[in-house]
Amino acid sequence: MPSKWWRGQSHLLQSIVQLSVFIIFICALTSPGLAHRAIIFAYAEGDTIHTESKFVPDTPVRQGEVQVLDRKTGKVLLTGQTDDQGKFSFKIPAEAVAQKLDLEIVLEAGMGHRGEWLLRADSYLQGVQKATAQPPASTSTPVAAETPAVTVDRQQLEEAVNKALERQLVPIKEMLTELTVRRTSLPDIIGGIGYILGIFGLWAYFQSRRKRNP
Amino acid sequence: MHISEGVLSPAVLAGGAVLTVVGTAIGLRKIDYEAIPRVAILSAAFFVASLIHVPVGPVGLHLVLNGLMGLLLGWMAVPAILIALFLQALLFQFGGLTVLGVNTVTMAAPAVLCFYTYRGLLRHPGTPAAIGAFACGFTAVLLSGLLVALALITTGQAFLEVAQLVLLAHIPIMIIEGIITLFIYLFLQKVRPEMLEGIYA
Repeated sequence: MPSKWWRGQSHLLQSIVQLSVFIIFICALTSPGLAHRAIIFAYAEGDTIHTESKFVPDTPVRQGEVQVLDRKTGKVLLTGQTDDQGKFSFKIPAEAVAQKLDLEIVLEAGMGHRGEWLLRADSYLQGVQKATAQPPASTSTPVAAETPAVTVDRQQLEEAVNKALERQLVPIKEMLTELTVRRTSLPDIIGGIGYILGIFGLWAYFQSRRKRNP
Repeated sequence: MHISEGVLSPAVLAGGAVLTVVGTAIGLRKIDYEAIPRVAILSAAFFVASLIHVPVGPVGLHLVLNGLMGLLLGWMAVPAILIALFLQALLFQFGGLTVLGVNTVTMAAPAVLCFYTYRGLLRHPGTPAAIGAFACGFTAVLLSGLLVALALITTGQAFLEVAQLVLLAHIPIMIIEGIITLFIYLFLQKVRPEMLEGIYA
């Protein structure tokens, strides 16, 4: 009977069940995710640049080497090492500020893993200028006593608002940088399998045609 | 196991590319009509295996399955691995297009080598073949690790240091790969013995 075709194949079915159980067991031991792509991202806060390095999806790169380069000339401005959370922070080099350099931040995570992040000058210069502008502002306050008090208040207010804003923006900056990291999605995986089967399917098609008309 | 872009020197990249072209040419000549589905399925399996993440060691590791590919494909593993790596580079940003040649060599060369090394054992059904299957999965990952370390010498990283690190990190994967290769071999022996007989006649 065609509807009971599996009756005679219980041996085969049993083997397939065994293998599936084994594969599920292996998959349960392991967690789905991505290994083997190291990424680094960076953002500026005041006169400091914070970087965070990880292996996708979420393992910090411990003791990875970080290099900060000038994007144009490739000159190494400074190097450092990530801590146990994969973080590394550094003061923005004076040279970079003076020449408005775009910074290329490179992570070498060992065993051939490498990640890069480009930090453009305009995304960190603002914070530096504020930080360097602050000391003269505070020393000039006594002198500025002659000027109307309203403007001083406004200046102080602006500074305070800027500071508070920056503090509030840090998590948002972090989130944004995280979002720019491209993650593998299920459609990528299924699409890839489709490509592979498609490529070999095409090949089989042409081979079968060649066989039919020699 | 995937080496990222921008790490290796042009000479190493070119060497890898040449070896890959030669290996792919040999592999393609060996693929006959009957083998196409087998190559396709194993290429897809290799493509997905890198996403199966094993949480051991300092870095999460993933399955490679190059031993299994060697066992079932021989030289045909080269084009199968090349296609899978190409799509991984394109879709997952694993490795990269310029490193495609080197990455193919580090994973496919052990597959081919293991095929020839353990062919003798696999021809004797029973315990010798089972040992051969396990060893095939185990050694292929080991050799891949050594090749990665070898490729990284040129970047100034000390070979012994990197090799030690790569090998230590991959010991669990070697054992898991050995077991998986063994199980799939036993499974095929039970379900599709004619497929194995075709290779190890």
